[in-house]
Amino acid sequence: MKEISVRVFRFDPSCDTTPHFQNYLVRVNEGARVLHVMHAIHEDHDPSLSYRHCCGSGQCGSCAVRVNGQPVLACMEEARDEMTIEPLELPIRKDLIVDMEPYLDRISSLVPGAEFRMPTLDEVDAMKPLRSCIECLACVSSCPALKVIDFAGPAAMREDMRLTLDPRDTCDRITEAVSEGLFTCTSCQACWKVCPKNIEIPGKAIEKLRALANKKGLTLPRHQAVEKLVRETGRSVDRLGTTFLEQVPEVLEPYGEVKGTVGFFVGCMYNMRLTQTALDAMEVLRRNGIRIIIPREQVCCGSPLIRTGQIEFLDTLKSRNINAFAFRAIDTVMTMCAGCGSTLKNDYRTPFRVMDINEVLLRFDIEPPARLPIKATYHDPCHLLRGQGIRTPPRELISKVVDLVEMPSICCGSGGGVRSGVPDEAAALAENRRKEIEKTGADIVISSCPFCEFHIREHTDRPVKNVTTVLLEGYREKDRKNAHMETC
Amino acid sequence: MLLYDARNYKMRSDAVDTAHVLVIGSGGAGVRAAIEAAGYGETMLVSKTLTGKGGCTTMAEGGYNAVLREADSCEIHFEDTLKGGAYLNDPDLVQILVKEAPERIRDLLEWGAVFDVTDGCEVAQRPFGGQRFPRTCYAGDRTGHEMMATLVDRLHNTDVLIENEVTIISLLHDGPRVSGAIGLDRQGEIRVMLADAAVLATGGGTRIYDISTNSSSGTGDGYAMGYNAGAELIDMEQIQFHPTGAVFPYDARGRLVTEAVRGEGGILKNVDGERFMNRYDPERMELSTRDVVSRAIATEILEGKGTGNGGVYLDVTHLPRSQIENKLPVMLEQFLKFGVDIRDLPMEVAPTAHHIMGGLRITMNAETTLPCLYACGEVSGGVHGANRLGGNALAETQVFGKRAGESAGKVKERKKAADQKGIENVEKHIDRFLQGDVPPSTIIRSLQTAMWEGAGIFRKGPDLEKTLGIIRHLQTLRPKAASAANLAECCILQNMLTTASLVVRSALLRPESRGAHVRRDISQNWDAEHSPYGHTFLSLSGEGIEMRGGT
Repeated sequence: MKEISVRVFRFDPSCDTTPHFQNYLVRVNEGARVLHVMHAIHEDHDPSLSYRHCCGSGQCGSCAVRVNGQPVLACMEEARDEMTIEPLELPIRKDLIVDMEPYLDRISSLVPGAEFRMPTLDEVDAMKPLRSCIECLACVSSCPALKVIDFAGPAAMREDMRLTLDPRDTCDRITEAVSEGLFTCTSCQACWKVCPKNIEIPGKAIEKLRALANKKGLTLPRHQAVEKLVRETGRSVDRLGTTFLEQVPEVLEPYGEVKGTVGFFVGCMYNMRLTQTALDAMEVLRRNGIRIIIPREQVCCGSPLIRTGQIEFLDTLKSRNINAFAFRAIDTVMTMCAGCGSTLKNDYRTPFRVMDINEVLLRFDIEPPARLPIKATYHDPCHLLRGQGIRTPPRELISKVVDLVEMPSICCGSGGGVRSGVPDEAAALAENRRKEIEKTGADIVISSCPFCEFHIREHTDRPVKNVTTVLLEGYREKDRKNAHMETC
Repeated sequence: MLLYDARNYKMRSDAVDTAHVLVIGSGGAGVRAAIEAAGYGETMLVSKTLTGKGGCTTMAEGGYNAVLREADSCEIHFEDTLKGGAYLNDPDLVQILVKEAPERIRDLLEWGAVFDVTDGCEVAQRPFGGQRFPRTCYAGDRTGHEMMATLVDRLHNTDVLIENEVTIISLLHDGPRVSGAIGLDRQGEIRVMLADAAVLATGGGTRIYDISTNSSSGTGDGYAMGYNAGAELIDMEQIQFHPTGAVFPYDARGRLVTEAVRGEGGILKNVDGERFMNRYDPERMELSTRDVVSRAIATEILEGKGTGNGGVYLDVTHLPRSQIENKLPVMLEQFLKFGVDIRDLPMEVAPTAHHIMGGLRITMNAETTLPCLYACGEVSGGVHGANRLGGNALAETQVFGKRAGESAGKVKERKKAADQKGIENVEKHIDRFLQGDVPPSTIIRSLQTAMWEGAGIFRKGPDLEKTLGIIRHLQTLRPKAASAANLAECCILQNMLTTASLVVRSALLRPESRGAHVRRDISQNWDAEHSPYGHTFLSLSGEGIEMRGGT
C-alpha cells in the first residue's frame, strides 16, 4: 500500500453555485490506477463523490477524466501522487460525471441497403483502424474547435469516414460531414494525441473526408483559391515584396569554424510574409557555426493542400522539393515552419533527415546569449508539439534568454485552412489564446511557427516573436555589453 | 397515476413510465432483445450504465461461435457444446443456439459489424477451446466491442426509448404476472416502469468473487431480482473460472486475458518452463475446455510451480510480431500499459471468475417460470450446462436476445396498474439504508473474499457451509447509504449477497463433480455423460436436484 495526495474537482449543481477542488490523502495499492483512487475516496472518505466507470479494462469508454489537464481513461492510467483529477471539458452533471449523450447521439448510424454485400478484406483493413473507438469522448473534450463553434466533433467525423469506407452504408456521409463541421477542424491533432486507442482522426478521417469532399466539389472557395495559387506559383501565399529566397545566396557560410551543414526548407510564410524572422534565424545559425544551403527551386511543401483535402497536385510538389535537396546531396534538411516540418516528416518519404530548427540549435550546443530582463510565455505550435513531438527544445532555448511562464497548449486557430476558410472560428480561437496570454502577465509571446506568429499577432497587444529572434536579441545584447566593456 | 412517495410522505404523480415491453439490461442480449421487441410495440430499455458501455459484452474479446463452413456442421457444434458442458445443458436450448447463431451473426453483418474476413470475403474463424472446428468468428480481440457498437448503432435506428443510468432494484407484479419494475436514478429518485412484458438481460455476477473478469455491472442483480420475484433458477453452482486472468498490478487482478491468445498459438508454462498442459490434456493441450485448463493452472500454482506473482506464464513471444499486433491488439495495448510488452515477454496469468453458467430457467422461447417475464444472455441458465465453451456466450446473447424480444413483444397488451403494495414495500425497504451503519464496500469485500476462499475452483461441503454462514451473517448487517444517491449501491450489495447464497446453496445441492463444479470431498464412479443428476434448482418455493431419466 502507498499513500498519495490528490486534488479532485467537485461540483454538485443542486447545491453548489461554483465548482471547487477538494484535497484527499488516500491509501492505494502499488500500481493502482486513477480509478482506484476514485474508489478509495468514494469508499473511505466521501461516498458522495460521483464518477462513471464500468469495464475497468479500457474497453467501455465510461471513465475518461482529465488528470493534470490531460484526458485519460481512469481505469488504465497509473495514479500519481499530487495529481489533479477533473471531468472532461463537457457540460458537467455532477463532480466527474459529464453529459456524454448529446455527443454520442451525433455519431451517425449505418443505414443498410436492400442488398447485402460483405466487405472485402481490403475494406475491412481500411475500416478497422477507425473502428476501435470506445466513444470515451476524450477527443471531444480536447477539441479546440468545439469550444467556439458548432461541430459534430472528432468521434463523429471518424465514424463518418468509416461509413464512407463501408460498402453496406447507403448514405452520403461526405455531404453530411461537411454540414456537420468538417472544415472547422484546425488539424491541431489534439484528438489523436489524447485518444486511448491512438486513432489518427485528423489524418485518417478528417483529411480523407476533405479529399472526398473535394471530389464532390465541396471544397471551400477560399481553399480553392489557395490551391490555384500553389498550382500557378508554387507558393501558397501571394507575393507582397522581396522574398527571403531573393535576399540570400544559395549558401550561407557561418561566421567562424564550420561545425555542420544543413539544407534549409524555407516554406511559403517565412519566404514571403515573415522574411525578417527567417533572416534573424540565419544570423543565429551562422553565429553558431552552421552552414546553410538554400536551394532556389524549392516550393510549397503542400501542407495547405493536404489539410484541406486538395491532393491532386501534391506529388508534383513533393518531387520538386525532394529533388531540390537530394540533388545537392544534403543529408539533413532543416525546417523552421512547424507546418512544413510536420509535413516533411509525416507526409513525405524523404531520402534525407528532416529536423526542426529548435532541434538543430540544441544539437549544436549553441553559444549562450545574454539574458534579457523580459518575462515571456511560449505558444506551442500544434504542428511542432503534436505533429513532431517537440516540446522541450524550444523551451530550453527560450530559457537561455528570458524568463518563461507557461500557459496551456491550445491551438491558436490558424491551422487546417481554418484561418482562410472559417475566419470567425479562427478569430474566436485566437481570442481564447489572448486571454491565456493575458493571464500569464508575460511581456512577450514566443512561438516557433509562422502561421501561429502571424495569427496571434493580430489578436494580442504583446509582441509575438520567433524563438530565434529572441535568441538573436540575446546575442545582440551580449555584443553590446562586450563592446561597452571594451570601451570602458 | 398517483404514487406514494414514502420519503416525502406525499403522493406524487409523475414518476411512472409505461411501455409494451420493458428490457432490463443494455449488454448484447438486452439491446438485441430491445431491437426485436421494437417491432411489436413501444419498448423501453433500462440501463444501469450508459447503453453500449455497460455489461460484459463490450469486454468480450475472443469471439462468436457460428457454423459457417461446409466442412463444419451444426451437429458437431451441438456435440462440442454438450461435451464441453459436461452434458448438463438443455439439449433443446443448445439446438437453437447452434442453429440460429449463424443467422444472428448475419443480422450483425447486415447492420454493419466489422468482423475480420478471409481473402475470400468470408467471416474469418479461429480455433477455440473444446471445439473440433475453428468456428469462432472475431473482430481482432475486440469482438464484443464490435458487436456492441453495431447493436447500439442499430438500436438508434429503432423507436426504442432508452433510459440510461437507472438501476432496476425490483420487479413488479400484477397478480402472478410480472408487470414492470422499479428503479432508482442517479439522484436516488424512484422510477416506476410498467409494461405488458419484461425481459431480464442483466448479465452475470462474478463480481461476487474477489478475482473476476466482470465489469463493475456484473453484480448478479438479475439472478437476485428474478429469485425474489419467484422465478426458478438452475445450476447456479456452475461458475466458470476463466483460466487466464491478469495477476498484477493488484487492482487489475482478474482482468481477462482472452482465450484468443491461446487460439492464436499462445502456450502455457509453469515457473520451470514446463509446458504443463501435456500432463492434463495431452490431446487438446492449451485449447482444452476452460474448466480443465483452469484446474491445471490452479494445481500448478498450488503445487508451488507458479511465478512470484502467483500465476503461470502465457507466452506468445514465439509468434510473429505482426500476428500479435493484428490479432491481439487490445492485449498488447493493455499489457503495455502495465509495463509488459507481450511481443518480448510472457504474460503472467491465473484463473479468474468469469461466467455464471446457471441462471433463470428458460424455455426455447426465453420464457422464465414467471408469466410475462423473459430472460436472455448470462442471466439465464441451461444453455451452457456445467462449462461454457469460449465463443458461445456472444452467440447466446444474440440468439436468445432475439427470442426474448420476440416473445415479450408478442405478449398481449393489458391494462397497466402499478403494484402499489409492491412499490411501497420497496420504498420502505430502501429507506432503511439511510439509517444503516456499515459501508457497502466493507460488506462486499468480505463477501468476495469468502466466496473466493470457500466456493472457488475446488470445493468441499464444510467450506461451502461455512461460506453460506458468512453470507447469512453479512445479510444481517445494515448497509449504509450516505445519501439517496447511494441507495442503489446498497440494493446492488444485497443482490450480490443473494446471488452468492444461490451459488453456494446450489453447490451444496450437487453431490458430484461436474464441469466447473468440483467437490473435493465427494468421490464418484461415473463420468459426466453418465451422471445420475440433472439440474440443481432453487426458487422461493423450494430447492433440489433433478435426477436424470425422469426421476
